[in-house]
Amino acid sequence: MLECRNCGAGAPVDEHFCPQCSRILALGRHGDYFSFLGLPRKLVVDGNELERRFRDLSRKFHPDYFYNASPTERLASLERSSYLNDAFRTLRNPVSRIEHLLAIEGLPSAKSEEGTAKVPPSLLEEVFALNEELDDIRELRESGTDPDALRARLERARAPIEAKREEHERQLQELSERWDSQEHAPAPEKRATLDTLRERLLERNYINNLLASIERELTAVAHSTSSGRSGHAHG
Amino acid sequence: MGKVVGIDLGTTNSLVAYVEDGRPVVIRDESGDALVPSVVSIGEDGTIFVGREAQRRLLTTPSSSVYSVKRFMGRGIEDVREEAGWLPFRVSGEPGGVVRIGVADREFTPPEISAFVLRELKHRAEEHFRKQGEFDFEVDRAVITVPAYFNDAQRTATRDAGRLAGLEVLRIINEPTAASLAYGLDKRNRGTIAVYDLGGGTFDISILKVEDGVFQVLSTNGDTHLGGDDIDRLLVEAVLADIAGPNEQHATTVEVIRRAVIQAKWDLSDVEETEIRIDPSPAARAGYRTRITRAEFERVIRPLVDRTLEPCRQALADAGLEPKDIDEAVLVGGSTRIPLVRRLVQELFGRTPHSELNPDEVVALGAAIQADILVSGRREMLLLDVTPLSLGIETMGGVVSKIILRNSTIPASGREMFTTGVDNQTGVDIHVLQGERELAADCRSLAHLHLKGIPPMVAGLPRIEVRFQIDANGILSVSARELRTGIEQAIEVKPSYGLTDQEVERMLIESFEHAEADFEARLLIDARNEAESVIQATEKVLRRSETDGVASELLEPGERERIDAAVAELKAVMAGTDRSVIQEKTHALNHATQHLAEVTMNRTVREALAGRNVKDV
Repeated sequence: MLECRNCGAGAPVDEHFCPQCSRILALGRHGDYFSFLGLPRKLVVDGNELERRFRDLSRKFHPDYFYNASPTERLASLERSSYLNDAFRTLRNPVSRIEHLLAIEGLPSAKSEEGTAKVPPSLLEEVFALNEELDDIRELRESGTDPDALRARLERARAPIEAKREEHERQLQELSERWDSQEHAPAPEKRATLDTLRERLLERNYINNLLASIERELTAVAHSTSSGRSGHAHG
Repeated sequence: MGKVVGIDLGTTNSLVAYVEDGRPVVIRDESGDALVPSVVSIGEDGTIFVGREAQRRLLTTPSSSVYSVKRFMGRGIEDVREEAGWLPFRVSGEPGGVVRIGVADREFTPPEISAFVLRELKHRAEEHFRKQGEFDFEVDRAVITVPAYFNDAQRTATRDAGRLAGLEVLRIINEPTAASLAYGLDKRNRGTIAVYDLGGGTFDISILKVEDGVFQVLSTNGDTHLGGDDIDRLLVEAVLADIAGPNEQHATTVEVIRRAVIQAKWDLSDVEETEIRIDPSPAARAGYRTRITRAEFERVIRPLVDRTLEPCRQALADAGLEPKDIDEAVLVGGSTRIPLVRRLVQELFGRTPHSELNPDEVVALGAAIQADILVSGRREMLLLDVTPLSLGIETMGGVVSKIILRNSTIPASGREMFTTGVDNQTGVDIHVLQGERELAADCRSLAHLHLKGIPPMVAGLPRIEVRFQIDANGILSVSARELRTGIEQAIEVKPSYGLTDQEVERMLIESFEHAEADFEARLLIDARNEAESVIQATEKVLRRSETDGVASELLEPGERERIDAAVAELKAVMAGTDRSVIQEKTHALNHATQHLAEVTMNRTVREALAGRNVKDV
């Protein structure tokens, strides 16, 4: 419950304005972006609907409209607006939306394991092959091999990883829909869906890192091309 | 309550606007001019001149005059050393501190110089309201615009300038966003808009989504050191290289050349070829003339204009958009009159950019609208802007940990947990930075915070939550709380490139002390202007009577001599600083011309009536 600092009335945690005196309520310890925006805890979100709610609430909270209000109300407007902006930013993006759901459902953050060297078992094969290929290409690049050939090899190396990523996007989409349909399902089933979502998310982050390292090598190859060309021009 | 205005505090020109009967209007002087040159000049007796008068003095006493001070707002000496060499005034300061500007024998910070410009605008607006017969004509509150890409220190410096000018700064808003508000009034009410703003000293690009009257900025990017000034400087360099060796770079000469190239730049927006022309004068002995074509001009400035393209691409990428997704492109800032700039914007977004509203005035109009929204509670429009740069803190090894990402909608907040490293530690130091780079050394230092009074505990036990809040002005505030004890922590803030509150307070007190002198200066300028206009009117009437061949009919014997003597006497005292003498001589001239004025008036009336008689009867 929130307590109105103006009239002392109590208000449910998802209320923004006091039911009694209709003043803006100070933001309590609020942790759920879905309920703050008045949305069900679901992963398939209508982007237009989300934006409409964001605009409507912005029009209610924005500090512009509290210019002449009391300091307490001004602070409440500032805090609610900041929180709303954060909520909108998080829920607009499908990946950060899943991460937020996992957090409010009490799962450990996927972010905390990011950057750790642990390779997800399902990706071992691809990671091994790619690392070997990247090592080879790096060596060839430094010894001055034709950049076009290297670029072609990199593109070939990227294809299977890209395919994996698309596969993961599909799975994330499927799992999101499954979660949404499990509203009244038993807790263990819901938990299983969340665990799988978390696993896929970790894998997805790992795949993105792999794609980034291919990108980096492509940039390095491109640079060696341009320096090679300018060398010709000067000669 | 006094009046509320919107102010565009520009690098080259500034202007003021307000909302009248629901429509924003720019406030002009008697000659219809809205622009006040952002130039400040200090007279030998300490008189402060602003605007056109100061601009005139740039030619005669360049070392006592300051322009383009916006480039120094919120910056350190190490940022501006290179360009400072180009300017006629002295620029100094401690490394890692606020820039100091030396004019005549006084020293100012950039906010103080900007405050003189703001005070002039305040005065202009107050005169306007007074003449309209408003009882309460004092202007006490304003919305002031800044480039979207301004960092926290630059915004804070602008707000300080407002305070020093005796204004309550209701809000700092971004120039491109202000422009979109002005355009949004009578335009389509939904779509995706790109605002390309190339002004005197700064470049901004903002991508906005407009729907249901909500102007939501999706992304912004820019360069706070790129504008018309840089174009002028390239041209000045070219002319200098052409006419003389480097030892010829006398400040007055540079100023004379600068004026000539600016005129040529303006010309080339309308014609294909023009002349850079400097008449012979003490400052430029032999004078100088050379032809320049638009193609040549474009070749010189092309690298500068190209520098605006990368920020545009980055802003589009950050908004997740392609050029084809942009429904409208809008041009803001005087430099967008340059045909090359228009062409590049058109190529980039694949559509003809809008420039229906005067690019010099549109930002002030938007600021006036925002000011009106704030005080009137009008809700049909809402502006949601973003922070242009990521906010972070320095962590182990000089790496920056980002807390609020760039392009986050403001207000925005972020939290970070801190603890202690040794037992019974009661203080923690935090270095706050702004920028996109990984290392603290490559980002902009905003402030050093010192958290005090942490309850003594075993190392690592305190849980100090530091909360970073960026408000709707894009300005940061910080608060901290130890979560175990719930004690709110005191924070000492030492801004890296800003004034402390105490410094602003001190300057405010000083400005009150100077207020009387400034008021005198104002009266002096008014007296000079009055004298000038009386002389001009007299000379005009005399010329007219001569060309019409009626001088002998109108003038009594000896009258012409008396008038000529009065004009000469007034001219002799006009440059002086004794206001009462100027007023006395002005009065004397008025008296000497009284008879002439009467007979001229009678003659005009007679002619008008006679004319009517012939026609009408």
